[in-house]
Amino acid sequence: MDGRVAHGRQQHVDTLARELSSSPSPRELSRARAIRRFRWSILGPLLALFAFVLLPVLFLQLYFSFHQWTVYLGTWWDADFVGLDLFQEVFTDPRFGWAIVRSLVFAVGSTIGCFILGFALAYLMHKPFRGQAAYYIIFILPMLTVPIVVAYTAEMLLYQSGPVNDVISRLLGVEFKPAWLTNPNFALTAVMLLEIWNWTPFSFIILLAGLSAIPKEPIEAAEILGASRWRIFWEVQLPLLRPVILLALVLRFLEAMAEFPKTWALFQGGPGTATETLPVYIFLTTWQYFQISKGAAMSYVVMMLMIVIVLVAIQLLRREKQSLDVMYAKTAER
Amino acid sequence: MSSDRTSRRALMGGGMALTMASFVPFKGIRQAFAAEEDDRIVAAAKPLGAADLRGMIWSPYYVPMQPAMQEFKQLTGIGVGSIQDISIFDAPQRAMAEALSRSPQFDFFHIDSNMIPSLASAGLLEPLDDYMKKANFKIDAVGDYATFMTYRGNTYGVITDGNVHIEYVRKDLIDDPDNQKRFEDKHGKKLAFPQTWEDEFQIQQFFHSPDKDLYGSGGLRNRANGPTWWYMMFYSAGGFPFDEDVNPTIATDAGEYAVETYLQEKKVAHPESAGWGTPQMIPRINSGKVVACQYWDGTARLNENKEKSPTVGKWLYGLVPGSDKSGRRMHRSISSPLAAVLVNKYSPRRAQAAYLALWWATLKNSTPIVSDKVNTFHDAWHKGHMTAPTVVENYTPAGIKAIEQNMEVVSPPIYLTGYLEFQDVLGKNLSEAYIGQLPAKDVLKRTTEEWNAIINRIGKRKLKDELASYKALMPKKDKPAA
Repeated sequence: MDGRVAHGRQQHVDTLARELSSSPSPRELSRARAIRRFRWSILGPLLALFAFVLLPVLFLQLYFSFHQWTVYLGTWWDADFVGLDLFQEVFTDPRFGWAIVRSLVFAVGSTIGCFILGFALAYLMHKPFRGQAAYYIIFILPMLTVPIVVAYTAEMLLYQSGPVNDVISRLLGVEFKPAWLTNPNFALTAVMLLEIWNWTPFSFIILLAGLSAIPKEPIEAAEILGASRWRIFWEVQLPLLRPVILLALVLRFLEAMAEFPKTWALFQGGPGTATETLPVYIFLTTWQYFQISKGAAMSYVVMMLMIVIVLVAIQLLRREKQSLDVMYAKTAER
Repeated sequence: MSSDRTSRRALMGGGMALTMASFVPFKGIRQAFAAEEDDRIVAAAKPLGAADLRGMIWSPYYVPMQPAMQEFKQLTGIGVGSIQDISIFDAPQRAMAEALSRSPQFDFFHIDSNMIPSLASAGLLEPLDDYMKKANFKIDAVGDYATFMTYRGNTYGVITDGNVHIEYVRKDLIDDPDNQKRFEDKHGKKLAFPQTWEDEFQIQQFFHSPDKDLYGSGGLRNRANGPTWWYMMFYSAGGFPFDEDVNPTIATDAGEYAVETYLQEKKVAHPESAGWGTPQMIPRINSGKVVACQYWDGTARLNENKEKSPTVGKWLYGLVPGSDKSGRRMHRSISSPLAAVLVNKYSPRRAQAAYLALWWATLKNSTPIVSDKVNTFHDAWHKGHMTAPTVVENYTPAGIKAIEQNMEVVSPPIYLTGYLEFQDVLGKNLSEAYIGQLPAKDVLKRTTEEWNAIINRIGKRKLKDELASYKALMPKKDKPAA
């Protein structure tokens, strides 16, 4: 018995000794507390916002998605529970399917357009030169223009006999008169071009930041080894820039999927249904047809679609970062 | 001692006085009545106390309504404190949002009256009948136009902008002797103001010259506005969109005739007409680049504006074309949007808002509003406007006569709960057919299917109850009195 007590006491003493030897200093403790406080001061309001504003909205939307509320017949809390009927209705609605297709086409097209132009501008601008600031301001101006203004201005420019076709005709020396605003085959392209004009600066800014952040050493090393400019770009800069490129593409794609003001101001879904993208169709369903419940179900479906896209994007970004880390580690080893 | 019997001398005197009175201009008496009407509204509103109202209204509409409002404020303390400046095309969605949240934020809405069934069903609207009764006020509109403010036996709004479609034909082209001869040689009939859709199309084709930037038609064919034209053609062919059980009845001879008539104008329309709305078309009409069309009446006063218009005196105005399709000649004009002031039932200041709405609609107050030469959004609608010199001067006597004629046979678009959805579905399908995405024969079939889905969702019983209100708005005669 005595032996066991003595053994226990010894264990307790050892534990205390370990704790004392590893316990942080008061300064460290105070620092940890400050970090914790700072973290909560940032996270707290965000969590509160999420809990008290976003979460109720999401729940309300979820409620509407499972309850058929006909706004003319009663209050929302009296709406009938319909289970998954509304989701079934959404998934079997051909207009919704076509809206997804149009939105994807629009988002992919405009994202690629923004990326190519944004990258080209960023590449031109990433090394300092005289008057760079002025060019910088000029290049980001479209992004500072309100989309609705872009739409109305474009409307005046894109008429069949408008200035855009006129200038192109003069440049080409042949009559060039596509009906951008009334031909169903061109209408979505017209909004896409406006989106590219409007948001290329966004891609430009991100890619410029990425290009400026690339370490100089690998480029200098490649130059010393006699690599051509093209090879440096293709084999050094581009791989190092891949995570930034991916980020620029993903953010732009998500933004483009939600484009509404220009499409609505110019076309309201027409001509026919040529520009009835997801945001336009959801708006029509919810605020023109007042089918709040179906609109909520559609929004949930779109939200899930976007979450999948974001998760895939995060996964890709993580993989890109890891491959970069490996590359840096290998370079450091050498 | 007095006698109950009227002496012969007194009788003669009275007769003489009446005879003299009959020479007093009618306008003077009308003004006296108008003044009484205004006084009654003030008397009814004043005891309610002062209020600064908040309205949802588009500023081009509101600006000419301000002087009358300020006078009302001086007399009663009731005025408009602030407005939300929102286009009449966007107001329905915003008003419905107010209905769903039962918000008392706005006291009145200036909006398309075709939204009355939907907004009343959603519980937003205050019936105005009691206020009208108390002020002994009535909407003194041309023809049966006042019924456009009613729904299921109640009055829910007062008109501020008549907005009826009238027919526009280029007078200089029609009157030209060479043109008359050529037309007669070609068609074997006189070149005259079109009486039917077929007449009009012939004239449009005859003068259609895209190389001279002159297009036959100026009608709208975009998704939002297209149905307005289709309804005129459909109604004039004797069609009505629903049977007694609220089954769609558009896939009929009248419907097909309307689709055919609607689509054939593509041959004489501007190539960009599929996407054009009023901002594009009004300048073309106003600059004389259109041969003939139906359009909102306000364009007449733009055309006749001596300071700004290049086509003063170059237009003929009249009744929109009719159709013999039903076996008898029938003309149907349309009013959409018919702008009206509606009052929010949830507002604690609804009574004050109601009396201000009535105030805006009296002859004395509405005449300057529709006579405004700068803000030309409000169009004539009151019986008194038809003879008011300032109004007639704006539209010209021919223009005002055309407005009066068309108002006698004016019809609404779908005047039921769910109006916007019915309208957009029809507009979408017509637009798809117009740009060649949908075969013409499928327009009515698909619209019927989609309308059936709407009817099932809103409820047949409810819509059936509303059908009488819709039918009450339809004109009672085939054509206006001569």
